[in-house]
Amino acid sequence: MGVAEVALGRRNIYIIPSKTALGLVVIILLLFLLGVNFQNSLVYAVSFWLLALLLLNIFYTWRNLAGLVVTGVGIEPCFTGEKAVVEIALACPAKQPKFALQLAWPGQDALQVNLATTSSARVKLSHGTLHRGLFRPPRLQVSTRYPTGLALAWAYVELEVQGLVYPRPVAQTFAQTGEHSTTETEDGVEIAEGSSDFGGIRVYRPGDAPKHIHWGKYAQTGKLYTKAFVDYASHALWLDWQSLPLQGVEVRLSHLCSQVLAFHQEQRQYGLKLPGKTIAPGKGEAHKAQCLRALALYGVDDG
Amino acid sequence: MDKQVTYSGMIWLLAAQLVVMLPFVFHLPFWLLPVVLFAAGWRLWVLAGGAVQPGNMTKLLLVGLGIGGLLLSGLQFPSLEAMSALLLLGFAFKSLEVIRRRDAVVVVFIGYFLVALHFLYTQTMLAGLYGAFSLVVLTGAMIGVQQVVEEFSAAQNVRFNLRLAGVILLQCLPLMVLLFVFAPRLQPLWSLPLMVDQAKTGVSDHMAPGDIEKLSQSDELAFRVTFKGERPPQDQLYWRGLVLNHFDGREWRQFDDAYDLERLKYAAAHEYAFHPENMQVLGDPVEYEAVYEKSGQPWLFTLTPALKVDGEVLQAADYRVMAAQDVQAPLLLKATSYPQSLRDVQLDPYVRQLALQLPTGGNPRSRDLAQRLRAQAGSEQAYIDKVLARFREQQFYYTLHPPTLGESDTIDGFLFTTQRGFCAHYAGSFVFLMRAAGIPARVVAGYQGGEWNAQGKYLTVHQYDAHAWAEVWQAGKGWQRVDPTAMIAPERTEQGLEAAVQAEGSFLENNHFSTRNVAWLKGLRQKLDAVQYGWQRWVLGYDGEAQMGFLQALLGELTLAKVAVLVGGLGGAIVLAWLLLLGLARRGEREALEHQLYRRFCALLAKRGVVREAGYAPGAFALQAAQALPTSAALIREFTQVYEKLCYQPDADGQAAIKRLKALLRALK
Repeated sequence: MGVAEVALGRRNIYIIPSKTALGLVVIILLLFLLGVNFQNSLVYAVSFWLLALLLLNIFYTWRNLAGLVVTGVGIEPCFTGEKAVVEIALACPAKQPKFALQLAWPGQDALQVNLATTSSARVKLSHGTLHRGLFRPPRLQVSTRYPTGLALAWAYVELEVQGLVYPRPVAQTFAQTGEHSTTETEDGVEIAEGSSDFGGIRVYRPGDAPKHIHWGKYAQTGKLYTKAFVDYASHALWLDWQSLPLQGVEVRLSHLCSQVLAFHQEQRQYGLKLPGKTIAPGKGEAHKAQCLRALALYGVDDG
Repeated sequence: MDKQVTYSGMIWLLAAQLVVMLPFVFHLPFWLLPVVLFAAGWRLWVLAGGAVQPGNMTKLLLVGLGIGGLLLSGLQFPSLEAMSALLLLGFAFKSLEVIRRRDAVVVVFIGYFLVALHFLYTQTMLAGLYGAFSLVVLTGAMIGVQQVVEEFSAAQNVRFNLRLAGVILLQCLPLMVLLFVFAPRLQPLWSLPLMVDQAKTGVSDHMAPGDIEKLSQSDELAFRVTFKGERPPQDQLYWRGLVLNHFDGREWRQFDDAYDLERLKYAAAHEYAFHPENMQVLGDPVEYEAVYEKSGQPWLFTLTPALKVDGEVLQAADYRVMAAQDVQAPLLLKATSYPQSLRDVQLDPYVRQLALQLPTGGNPRSRDLAQRLRAQAGSEQAYIDKVLARFREQQFYYTLHPPTLGESDTIDGFLFTTQRGFCAHYAGSFVFLMRAAGIPARVVAGYQGGEWNAQGKYLTVHQYDAHAWAEVWQAGKGWQRVDPTAMIAPERTEQGLEAAVQAEGSFLENNHFSTRNVAWLKGLRQKLDAVQYGWQRWVLGYDGEAQMGFLQALLGELTLAKVAVLVGGLGGAIVLAWLLLLGLARRGEREALEHQLYRRFCALLAKRGVVREAGYAPGAFALQAAQALPTSAALIREFTQVYEKLCYQPDADGQAAIKRLKALLRALK
């Protein structure tokens, strides 16, 4: 991705008089007739003054966009069907504050921003997503009617950002056949403080989960003991594309996606196997992101 | 997006409405203002959540009441006043239902229209300035209803919008003037009933005892005159307006019947038509331009006889010059007079008959006196001199407060009993004595003298300069002006100075006595008046003819090509000035330059393996790049610093900074 900071200017700003301007033209004509009929110099003057206002305003509206730099900063990943939140940076030359800037995608969200007191701002604008994969927002329309609403200026900006759209997480129910891989259950590395396998009893420490307290021991001794658990890497769960008894790419991906989220939620150790790509078991945010990314980009050219 | 007008937008609108409507209070039914305030208050209350939006029935009822009120106020339909009143009412009630931005814009537009409409009532400089102020507020309101800048406080918003509106309109001014000067002035397309301000001021077409005294209490302006050549001496400045032929025993009128404007026009085209061939032109011409204030009457005041008169005016057998319509707006007249000419060497029988009319009875002593004196005098001239001498030698007084004369035999009463009077008394009784002796004579009403404005080199004539004098016809001499008042009071003395000071401008000696003699005050007043006169001549009086004259003086012979080149050139210059003023022509390039340099900087680093992600702040990128390329770290840091300074503190020396950036870029390669 290159630097895509292009200030709006002569080449990319379009401007037309608005419907309101048509109304003012009617008023100007009426006043001119009034001036003609009553041979009244000051009525002429008002009519000409408004005409001048109409013209000069075009420059003002144009200036309200000129010099503006609109950059896409990034897009937070989202799931298909959700709205992708695009962060946009706006900057304008100092001493040329911008007012009532309208940022919008046609048919999508719109936002009004002022750069009145600062010369830069970051805003978030969302856009609906339909497909899994890489989302590139369409051209952003930046428009303004400032100051009088008599003219409409607009420009289209390519944001040059892309964001991941994960599959829609939809869990399917079916007989749990091959999820737990049993072939690799020999000795694994013990991971202390795990939660899967019972590893013994130790003295209670503040902060231990109540559900792990060994109530039987408490009844016997009157003291609190905690059931300690260990995880074994070898006990990791494998999410395997091949073993899913499901039809259809998106259905499988959706299911896997929901599983990733569920396992992550349960803080379990899990790995992902996709045709052509295997992610070793792990846990935590980074691992989840890696898995989701793989799901999002399955079969998609990585841009 | 949200198209509702916000609370602050609504307040803008209401403020603008008030500003626009205020001056109409002087011209339209007074109750309109409370109605506006009521509607505005209601609307604000609704916005504040205190009241419900008025329903359709309520609105209908209000509109009905309003129109009913207008009908009861005695407005004529259709007329300009009725139209203004209706517009104002709509303007006021509109605020009851303003909700969306589009409605608000409509209100602003109606406001623009009303500002212009007010100029049909008055076109003084003050009204012009107020109109400009109203336009600024309206434009500010238009900006204010479009958007609210949350970053600003309410007061800041108001100040900011007003300033912006003011600046925009100021920048519009040159183009407005260009259009004003060059846009073609068309003739009226149709005539609308113009019922503006029917009040009549100034000299009227009948003269009863006391009329002119009342007028002389007013220091209102009647007209201003600029002379082309030398100004005639003050005592020759008799601004002749109308001739009063008919005396009914109490009042002097133009004719035996009331003549309205249409009948006068008819008479001036037929039995009372102007015959320039009856005149023997003598002496030097006096060329002048006069601008008459709105008077609601058609009378114009000129030095007589006026020969060349520009514009749409009427002339009649008695050498009067009249406007074709009542003067409702300042009127400019260019005229050339030949004061030494002989008028009516041959006297038209109809005019003679008019000039000898007397009521059948009444005033026996005066008639008797006339017979006696005429018999004593050898000639008509001798008789005239005798009558004038009598005024001078007997105990006649000139006073602003003459005793009342009763209903009959007023001439007798004045000549033999009270002997105190104003110019009208002297002119009236003098003409009576002439006619009683068989000499054609008539009363002339107009203004005498005027105040010379040394600042602007023109003459101002006020209502207190109103005057009445007489004209006598003699064979071989034609009509000659006789001013009996000048016999009694060459300086109009009886009224003391103190009283004159008290009633500023009411005392009318030869204007040397003008009470406003405080030197600096007088200078200031004259300067102000000169500005106003300039306004009237060059702004208000700028019509098709004036435009022609101006363009010809500017361009010589007029051709379309010349005008087009001039207008195009000036228009182009204005647009260029706009671009410069708005910083569109210049600043854009400079910004591009530093951004270009920064792009080159990024491209250079990218080649060396450090790629800047989109939107990555220059500062953060510099850190990353400096870490990756320790050998160039200092250069990278400095480049970024200078670039950021340029972006965020443009007050810094831009040229030097750009140079430095270029140098650093070279060093990086």
